[in-house]
Amino acid sequence: MRRALPLAGLIVGAAWAASSMAAVPTMVGKDAPDFVLKTLAGSNLRLSEFRGQVVLLNFWARWAGDSRQEMLVLDKINATYARAGLVVLGVSVDEDLRRAREFADAMKVTYPVMFDTGGSSTGKGYLLEKMPMTILIDRSGVVRYSHVGFKTGDDRIYLEKIRELLRE
Amino acid sequence: MNLKFRVVSIIMGAALLAGASAAGASAAGAPVAAGVPAATATAAPAAAPAETPAAATPDFKTLDQEVQGVKKDVIELNKDLFVLEEELLFPANTQVAVYVSMDVGTFFALDSVTVKIDNKEVKNYLYTAREADALLKGGVQQIYLGNLKVGKHELVAFFTGKGPMEREYKRGATINFTKGVGAKYLELKITDKVSKHQPEFTIKDWE
Repeated sequence: MRRALPLAGLIVGAAWAASSMAAVPTMVGKDAPDFVLKTLAGSNLRLSEFRGQVVLLNFWARWAGDSRQEMLVLDKINATYARAGLVVLGVSVDEDLRRAREFADAMKVTYPVMFDTGGSSTGKGYLLEKMPMTILIDRSGVVRYSHVGFKTGDDRIYLEKIRELLRE
Repeated sequence: MNLKFRVVSIIMGAALLAGASAAGASAAGAPVAAGVPAATATAAPAAAPAETPAAATPDFKTLDQEVQGVKKDVIELNKDLFVLEEELLFPANTQVAVYVSMDVGTFFALDSVTVKIDNKEVKNYLYTAREADALLKGGVQQIYLGNLKVGKHELVAFFTGKGPMEREYKRGATINFTKGVGAKYLELKITDKVSKHQPEFTIKDWE
């Protein structure tokens, strides 16, 4: 009886964890919600204007430690694959616009960095879970891949998916 | 009455289209399901090419023409539905539409427009370089479509962008208008005032 109780607890716990994992909503397979945001350079960019190209959308925040590392990796990917039809877009979800700008400026990435601040609901549309979050959108504007967080080696997964989408 | 008639005609159109596409689908599937008794008269000619490849081309051409016809009908139906939706959501007696146009634009590079009606922000639109360029080429954008009660109203529009000498520029324009029983159309016009070397922002009430 004593053994059975923790075992039942474990089973219930595992079932709850599995159900909660399955319940995580994802945008994969759905049309990427359109948005228009201001970039670090001061211009406005609209996502739908990149229809026909593969888009890597990276949501980042200054306070998310992995963002810095990931942005450097994405800058390299952008330098290599931009000519092949890849568009890398960074979107900051920082509350503090001034500090986010300073951070983006210091990173000196070559791809456009935009700011989703001031009550814009861009992040909500993409069901952001945790920062950073990377979304891959195919040429027809459909979300094909979603990745939460960043660790060394994840860039290889990105490259694999990017090549796959560029070949389509 | 007119609206009801259009709704009925669109529904009938959709039903006919569904029937046509079903027939088309059965025709297309006929070579595979040649032995199925459900194959209709339309399907029969399509089934024949499987047996006689020489006669295949004209039949497939007919089928292709049918498919193209159905596609055209779908586009027409979609257009009708869009117009109908607009008529239902924004009936003429309450409809107010606001447009943006730009002439020349030498002294102003448009960045955003904010529209307030009766002190309530109804639209804030950021323009990309392409969109601003389209306006410069003569395009007119419907920035807002909504409903308003009959009576007096106030519209305020704020324009932001780069003015002469690349300076940040923010200007407003106001119009007091009366909404009657018909639809109301307002145009936010950005023009160049050559004499002052400044942009000019006006709101035109299309009676």
